[in-house]
This record gives sequence, structure tokens and C-alpha cells, in this order.
Amino acid sequence: MNESNLLSPHATKAIEYLLAVSYLLLFIPFWRFVNGATVAQSFALSWFQVPENVHLHRGHSWARTFGGAVAVGLDDFAHKLIGPLDEIRFPAVGTALRQGQKAFTVVADGKPFDVVSPVDGNVVAVNEVVHAHPADAVRDPYGTGWLLKVEPRWLTANLKNLVSGDAARRFLDAAAEALSGRMSPELGVVLQDGGSPVHGIAREIDPEHWDEVVRHYLKGE
Amino acid sequence: MSETLERVTVSAFVREKVLLGMAPKVYAKSLFTRTNAIFAAILAIGLPTLAYRFWKGMGAVSNLSQTNPWGIWVAFDIVCGVALAAGGYTVAAAVYLFGQKQFRPVLRPAILTGFLGYLFVVVGLLVDLGQPWRLPYQFFLTPGTTAVMYEVGWCVFLYLMVLALEFLPAALEWLGMTKVRRFMSAISIGIIVLGVTLSTLHQSSLGAFFLMSPGKLHPLWYSPFLPIFFFVSSIAAGIGMVIFESSISHRAFQDQLDPEAHVDMDALQLGLAKGGAVVLFAYFFVRLQGLAASGRWDLLLTGWGAWYALEMLGFVLLPSLLFAFAVRTQSAKLARAAGVMTVLGVVLNRFNVSLIAFNWNVPDRYVPALGEIVISITIVTLGVLVFRWIVNRMPVLREHPDWRGAH
Repeated sequence: MNESNLLSPHATKAIEYLLAVSYLLLFIPFWRFVNGATVAQSFALSWFQVPENVHLHRGHSWARTFGGAVAVGLDDFAHKLIGPLDEIRFPAVGTALRQGQKAFTVVADGKPFDVVSPVDGNVVAVNEVVHAHPADAVRDPYGTGWLLKVEPRWLTANLKNLVSGDAARRFLDAAAEALSGRMSPELGVVLQDGGSPVHGIAREIDPEHWDEVVRHYLKGE
Repeated sequence: MSETLERVTVSAFVREKVLLGMAPKVYAKSLFTRTNAIFAAILAIGLPTLAYRFWKGMGAVSNLSQTNPWGIWVAFDIVCGVALAAGGYTVAAAVYLFGQKQFRPVLRPAILTGFLGYLFVVVGLLVDLGQPWRLPYQFFLTPGTTAVMYEVGWCVFLYLMVLALEFLPAALEWLGMTKVRRFMSAISIGIIVLGVTLSTLHQSSLGAFFLMSPGKLHPLWYSPFLPIFFFVSSIAAGIGMVIFESSISHRAFQDQLDPEAHVDMDALQLGLAKGGAVVLFAYFFVRLQGLAASGRWDLLLTGWGAWYALEMLGFVLLPSLLFAFAVRTQSAKLARAAGVMTVLGVVLNRFNVSLIAFNWNVPDRYVPALGEIVISITIVTLGVLVFRWIVNRMPVLREHPDWRGAH
């Protein structure tokens, strides 16, 4: 057996390994490039959170199904926009709610804001803990910060009008984008770090007419 | 009395379900369109040619010979047809096995494309084989358990059944057969798993076909990894076809789209494009491994090498990069263009393996006869017509209101 015959399988193997390693090395920049668009978006996304199984209404209320009932609350965006709540005026248990119409009222700094219901149905429970400590709702807006439980009437049809998953993130992203044009760069940094201004974003943007800013978003416009 | 009543109900049923709610005369009139005139012209030439092939035999319409027994009926109707029908299992696996539920709106059209694709693969196969009544022989009378053909035959047979079952819910919803439809929901996951398994086997075994002919297939395309090449590229073909088909359908069947569904088709196609970018990128390197294993790098400097480079760079690497760029810049238009290139690339690859680089060294090269081309076009036209007939009647692009979100 001469030398070249002895070496040739090794050379072939070497090329194969080299190819495999270059594939793995090149895949890293390739994957980063493909995900570049989403990485750039997550800058804005990290401001406002929305879990996978939560369905958002354009008026910044949310709905989450569990068992036969639906939990309803105020989304992360609205909480951070309004700031700490002084009071939540709940509807009575048994009240019939209509999708897109007033469900409950939140009060901050003496100003009341009506929030629309994401679904049709009857109120079966209200969150007494949040009722007693309204300012705590912002800590976990989609979990312990739920406000109402509703027995839905036309859930499947209602959910068609709500957004969830990537669409929900894009929706909050667009809302954030619209806000970012009006806010100071410092505020952007605060939000990016996961914090939010003590008195809510709306008051930072327009101390005089902040309630109009809030109502504009809660109307779903 | 009851007889008349029955006749009335039957005709109402036909009118509602088949004639799209029109009176027979109105329906017949609605068929006179420019598109249909083109289809009719193709069939007027194609169907007699098809009949002639079965009457006089394959030599009468084709250039196939003992040296070149496989022509475009195999290369295009079967080998390409199977790859382009891969959208069904790709999307089914994404939605049901990997939980990518956002792709649900394209699942049914993909399954229908897969089902009709396979159905017309079988039609193409029968044209190539002749004597259709002998088709069961290979399964039951003379099973050749060691033949690749035997495995391919079973896979096509079983997968066609599975695709029919996967599509059945749409037909049942159309006919209003609630009980059977509910039963189909219960077994849907099992069918999907069976479908993904069978098509994995089958896509790769079409590649395994060509393992039998190392001397006939040009070394740049021949590789012991051919089954893997065929399988990986079928995923890319499936993704490309779903992107291509969904953009065509959304233009051609606008009246079928559910105004309440709000499907963000651009976002959906960009999601598919991300998968396409990764699959093609991996496929490019897997193909290079084939070249490394054979060690025939010297062939790259020949004319065949240039043709190979065109396929690899122009129709594998380029669409991969275009997909990546489309996702990066969120351009659905670019994703659609890359989808078309991917489909063309897989067609080019299948043509190369089964036709162009096959028998590359024989002096008597095969060129398809006009009759073969006419029959291939006829088969594709029949497929398009059946697809249109079904989409216009059954809930494929829209959801049936009673079965929203059902499996």
C-alpha cells in the first residue's frame, strides 16, 4: 500500500469534518442575521409584556380562558400608561358585559377611566384582593392582577376579534412605537430596563392632559 | 307524492353543493370564461393523446426506449410531483407535532395540494406503467420484498390513503355529515403522525431509487446520501410550495376568504420563510458532504461542474440567503420570490438526478416527445381543475362556521 492510498481516506474524512465545522460556524452568523429583525424589535417588546395564552382587546383589556370561565384584566401597557391605581370600580356579580363596551372603571389621581370588556358574558367573580389593594395589580397584570371572571357567551366568536401570541406582541409594539415618538429619551431607557415611571407614562408625556392620552388608548384608537 | 318530494330534495342538494347554488342553466353559463377556454383547449388535445397512449402503447406517443426507459413522466410527473406535494406533511408536522399553530390557515390547502399531488402522481405512474388493472399485482400477487420499488409502491399507496383521510374532514363538513366528522377529529392526530412517518420514508426512498444506478448517474449527483438529500430538499420544496400556493390562492379565490378570520398572510409567509432559510442552508452543506465523500472535486471544473454549481449556488444557496434577507427585512414579497426559486430549484434537482445527469454517458440521449409533454401538461391541468372544483365548494381556504378551530 503506497502512501497516497493510505492518506486518501484521511483526507476525505478531514474535508468532511472541515465542512461540518464550517457549517456550524457559519450557521451562527446566519441565524443571528435571520433573527436580526426580531432582536431589533425586542427592544420595544421588552417594554410591555404579554404571555402566549392571553388575548388582547384593542382597548387594552385582556382575556384568558381557564376551564369554562374567562379571566379579564388590564394589560401591561395600560397599567404602565396610567400608573398606580387608587381605586377599581367593579360591576356587580351577574352583570352582563358586551365585548367592546364598558366593563369596569379604574381611578388614578382622582381621574376615572372606563375600560372595555374583551368578551361577551356575565360577571361571575371580582378580584377582592386587588379591590382592597388596587396599586398592586400592576405587579402581575396577567396573573394575580386579574380583575373579573366572566362566564363567556360567544367565546369562539369573541376571540376572533382579539389578538394573541405574535399578533398581540406586534399590537403592543405598535402602541409602544406610537408612544415613543412623544416621550423623552430618558423615559425610553427606564422602560427598557424593565422599570416604569412612578406616576405612569402618560403623566410623563403630558402632565396637563395625561387623562386624554390614557382615554385615547383605552378607546382602542 | 313522496317521490316528487325526494326528487326536489335531491336536486336542491345538488344545486346547493355542486352547482354553487345556481340553477343548472345559470351554472353552465358561468363556466364560459377565458380561463376555462384555455383549460378546455388543453384537454381537447390532451385527453385523446392519453387515450391513444393506452390504446397503442407507450412507444406510440413517447421517445422512451430500452436505453432510456424513464422520461419526463417519471422525472416530472412522479419524482417532481412527490417533492412538490411535500407541503402537506411539512405543514401538518409544524402544526400538530411542533405546535406551530399559527400555520393552521395554510394547513388544509397544503393537505389538499398534497393529496391531489399524490393522486396525479399515481395517474402519471399509470401512464408510465400502462395496464392499470395490474397495479395490485405488486402488493398482493407478486410482492418483491427486496425491491426499492416495492417500498415506494407501498408508501405511495398508503400515503395516498392517509392524505385522503387527512382531507376527509373538509369533505364531510361540506356534506354536513356531522357524526363521521366528529369521529375524524378523534383520530386526526394518529393520522397526522402516520402521514408524516410515511412521507419521511417515501420522500427518501425516491432518492434511494437512484442508489441502484451508480454507473448511470453523473458522480456530481450520485451519492450514497441521496435518500437524505431527497428528504431534506422535500421539506424545502414543501415550504416553497405552501408560500407559492397560498399567495396564488389568496388572489384567485378571494371570494372564499373569510372576512372575519383576519389571517395575516404576510406574517405567515415570513414564518415559513424562516424555516425555508434554515432548511436550505443545511441542505447546501449536506449536499457538499456528498461531494466530499466522493472526493470528485475535479469534476467541478467541467461543463457538468458548471451545471452543478448553477443548481447549488443559484437554486439552493441563493434562495436560502433571499429567505434570510426577507425575514430580516420583513419583506413578504421577497419571501414569495424566494419560495418560487426554491420550488424551481427542487424541480431542477429532480430533473438533474432522474433525467439530465442520468444516462449522461450514453450516446443516445433522451429528448421528450411532444406526446409526453402534452400528457404531462394534461395531468397538471386535471390537477388544477380538481383543486379549483374542491376549493370552490369545500371549506379549504375558509373555516366551516360549525367547525371553527376543530381538528
